[in-house]
Amino acid sequence: MRTQNKIRIIFFFLLCFCKLVTSAQNKKDSVTEITPSITFTYLNSNDTIILTANIFDKKEQGVFAIKNAVIEFSASGDKETQNLGQAKADEEGNAILKLPVATAIPKDKDGKTTYTAKFNGKGKFQPAMETFSAKLARITVNFSKEDSLHFILVTATQVDYKGSVKPIQKEKVVVYVPRLFTLLKIGETDLDEAGTGKVEYTMKLVGDSLGNIMVLARIEENDKFGNVQGQSSISWGIPKQYYLAERPTRELWTPIAPIWMIVTLITMLTGVWAHYIYAVIQLIKIKQISKKNPENPENSGFPHNQ
Amino acid sequence: MEDNNDNKKGSRRQFLKKGLIAGAGVVAGGSLLAAYVDKSKPTSGERVKVLTTEGELVEVDKALIHSPRVSIEESHKGIPGRKFVMVIDLAKCKNARKCVEACQKGHHLPRSQEFMKVYLLQDSEKSAPYWFPKPCFHCDNPLCVSVCPVGATYKRSDGIVLIDNERCIGCKFCMTGCPYSTRVFAWKDYPEYADDKEPYSPEASSPGKEGTVSKCDFCPDLVRIGKLPYCAQNCPMGVIYFGDIDEDTVTNGSETLRFSELIRDRSGYRYLEVLGTRPSVYYLPPVERQFPVESGFKDLEESVKNRFKNTPYGKTHKL
Amino acid sequence: MENKDTKEKLLREFAPQLEKTSSATLVWILFLLGVIAWGVYAFVAQVTKGHIVTGMRDNVVWGIYIVNFIFFMGMSYAGAIISGTLQLFRTEWRKPIIRMAEYLAIISLLIGPGYILLCIGRLDRLHYLALFGRIQSPITWDVIAISTDIFGCLIFLYLSILRDIASLRDFSELKIPAWRKKIYSMLALGYTGLPEQVKRLRRATDIMATMVIAIAIIVYSVLAWIFSVTLQPGWHSTIFGPYFVIAAVYSGTGVLIIAMWVFRKVYRLDQYITRKHFVAMGVLMVVLAALFGYFTFSDYLTKWYGSEKNDESLIRILFTEYYWPFIFSNYVGVLIPLLVIGIPKLRTITNITLSALIVIVALWFNRYLIVIPTLESPYLPIQDSRPEWANYAGTWVEYALMAAGVALFCLMFTIASKFVPVMNVSEMSETPKTESSELFKTEESLL
Repeated sequence: MRTQNKIRIIFFFLLCFCKLVTSAQNKKDSVTEITPSITFTYLNSNDTIILTANIFDKKEQGVFAIKNAVIEFSASGDKETQNLGQAKADEEGNAILKLPVATAIPKDKDGKTTYTAKFNGKGKFQPAMETFSAKLARITVNFSKEDSLHFILVTATQVDYKGSVKPIQKEKVVVYVPRLFTLLKIGETDLDEAGTGKVEYTMKLVGDSLGNIMVLARIEENDKFGNVQGQSSISWGIPKQYYLAERPTRELWTPIAPIWMIVTLITMLTGVWAHYIYAVIQLIKIKQISKKNPENPENSGFPHNQ
Repeated sequence: MEDNNDNKKGSRRQFLKKGLIAGAGVVAGGSLLAAYVDKSKPTSGERVKVLTTEGELVEVDKALIHSPRVSIEESHKGIPGRKFVMVIDLAKCKNARKCVEACQKGHHLPRSQEFMKVYLLQDSEKSAPYWFPKPCFHCDNPLCVSVCPVGATYKRSDGIVLIDNERCIGCKFCMTGCPYSTRVFAWKDYPEYADDKEPYSPEASSPGKEGTVSKCDFCPDLVRIGKLPYCAQNCPMGVIYFGDIDEDTVTNGSETLRFSELIRDRSGYRYLEVLGTRPSVYYLPPVERQFPVESGFKDLEESVKNRFKNTPYGKTHKL
Repeated sequence: MENKDTKEKLLREFAPQLEKTSSATLVWILFLLGVIAWGVYAFVAQVTKGHIVTGMRDNVVWGIYIVNFIFFMGMSYAGAIISGTLQLFRTEWRKPIIRMAEYLAIISLLIGPGYILLCIGRLDRLHYLALFGRIQSPITWDVIAISTDIFGCLIFLYLSILRDIASLRDFSELKIPAWRKKIYSMLALGYTGLPEQVKRLRRATDIMATMVIAIAIIVYSVLAWIFSVTLQPGWHSTIFGPYFVIAAVYSGTGVLIIAMWVFRKVYRLDQYITRKHFVAMGVLMVVLAALFGYFTFSDYLTKWYGSEKNDESLIRILFTEYYWPFIFSNYVGVLIPLLVIGIPKLRTITNITLSALIVIVALWFNRYLIVIPTLESPYLPIQDSRPEWANYAGTWVEYALMAAGVALFCLMFTIASKFVPVMNVSEMSETPKTESSELFKTEESLL
């Protein structure tokens, strides 16, 4: 067995042992000592490697993310270990490091690199660590149109120990189109000897306002390569309609009322109030008449005019 | 050795999966805080521990992550280019009520107010009872909006119907206008309202105000940062799917499906379609159910169980 | 022709009421103030503790307040329509009672909207109705309509009391303080019975009488539409508009008869308000009872026969939980007046007044049965373990405020009768023309 594997296993056991020991100590309260756990995720997307370490403390009541924890990332090959940098965990406990693929990363004899996320511990928090290993790979997405059929072409390559680029064979590639919260799967294919695959695009999907859709191709959860992702965009989508009308419509439930409603209301109100005003004018005239004829005060008999 | 490797493979698989989903957020142009439902993680009682420079442990109430609240004026404009739709799979619902509780927690509601309600319905004497989660349907012909005398409730371009509790005069006409009994009223100043220290926004429907009406809002403050509403995030069975109807995609956090195909294959329908309100929530009929109706009563609180005493099911089973 | 002697005689008759307040009246007023104070206390409780002190909850969001609102508005329209029509048709027998009808119209119109205010959650935002009013909302229609109606009834009342005020101003025997005399002369607008003035007054009164009738019908229909445009089973009925108008006028005639009886007793107006007036009002009440019964029957027959699921559950609730109120309001309330007025032997003043009382109570229950059972049987079944959330029961706050409203009504009526005579003195002192007296004779023989 390779030394790295042995080391990895020992690390793993050590970690578990440490966890057991420390967890035995803090059964009740986390006030004294906390042993965080890290879940480590890896994504190779186009030309960037994204390492995400999620640091949390798991308890009976729930899972608590540890914000502001500083995670150190490093990569090691057969000979050397390279410090990649550090990141601070956010409110969800995610510490993310992005690494351009162009960076010289140490590799072992298989071409794999072992990545480590380490939390050095601070105060009450115990140190924690997780590792992951993957081989560098790349997926490119292209498009072609034959007759009236649309095709998405994927090509996958890997980089070995010496740095030479070779095709990836016989791995499954899944093709997606990103949507609002998630990715919509539109097809999958197996890579052939030359490291290429072909998926037919048959759906009618809405893209952006110009009709562009982004297409994503992924090798998922692979033992050798981890997660590899490549993307490209093409204008095969239906242009998106934006709903903001220049002038809002007139419905029962819109801010402005249907015209017939406004007209009816104004007509009725005008009719009624016109009569009111007429009656009030009569009253005013009555007063005016009395002012003109002040010398008939005792004529409070009212001749009934019918 | 092989055993160990398998173990590593399994946990490795999980790690990779999370990486994928995180990456989805990156690619889609959303923020790094992508939505994912880890069924092994219970999400109630999440608090954040912050390390101070002295290594002190400080526990901070985790403002359940949402975007900075938009102003009332801004909330009248919908998220551009979107039209939201929800699909609820009645075949999977077993009355876990995690949707109800997560929504109440997220909106700082007292226990007596439920934006998402779960009913036990039985369409006719001989048909089978089923659990029926009911959020606000955000109708395309909303009667509640038509009858509001002051324009406190409004429908946006993205289909969401919101309430401005700074404008609401509490006449409750909208509550009688809604045929689905969706809206709730703040009969007093509930203490839970004070738990929310952030400025009021109709998109968050929080903090609530005494004497005004409120309801399910499809969580636009979460949607703006690429997260699913509280109910969809927290359903352990993945009953609630949410998405943009124009993109023809809905997801419950772990599954992503084409909306048109889902409705076609599973015969999706809208509740009381005949009323003409044109809801934005579709239901998938309870066919080939994953759980019997009885499992909905397991571990159920007495006060909740008593609700169903007078239903046909409750009467025959003497709840 | 105006008969000056009759007028002076009438004025002398009414002078005591205007001049002094008997101890009995004082006690009465104090009692009313006490009830109103209790109502204020209940209101303060509601404002400080929130609407949770009422019986309303998320399902039955409209309770006794709205029932009272509809009831009072209904009485108002009855007053308006009765005084309006009688004014226009110049019937002889209306003269003694028309003032009371006008008072009824305006007083209940001022009290009714108060109940809506009690039902509103945020009274501090009431002005939003004017600032941000949405034309598509039936409540906005109602606000506009009620404000218009209040103005109309005030103008109409003023036109009606103008001549009486002028008479009081000129009546030298009246022993009232100088400040009251001053108010009378101010309000009289210098009316001295000149032909021009008389003509203008008559014109204005006729126009306002027509307007008041039209407005009353429109306003009450708008109120009915608040209910019937929603989809709630039981409310979404096409005949709600006319139904409410008929029920309103019906309840109003009942109140008017009671007012007639009270004032007749208290002010000893036996010679002016005679049995004939009671019978005439009774006949009106009977006609309306028949119409009301017809509309109610039509509404429920349609619901029951079609037996749509939600209509069915509503009717089941009405006949199980609300059995006695339903029987009382829709059967007893219709049949009693029919019997009492229909059978000549039973047509006594007391009987007619008693049946008017039954009518009022029956109609209050009718409003209750329209508003609340519908809200208790929505489309989605109420599944709630809290009893007050499933069924509505009014609390002391709501009943206190209801009593306060009734007390305020009585109080305003009492005070109004002390300011201007409760009968239209000027009208009554006019000698009837031959044709109309013939008409009166014919009416007499019929009755």
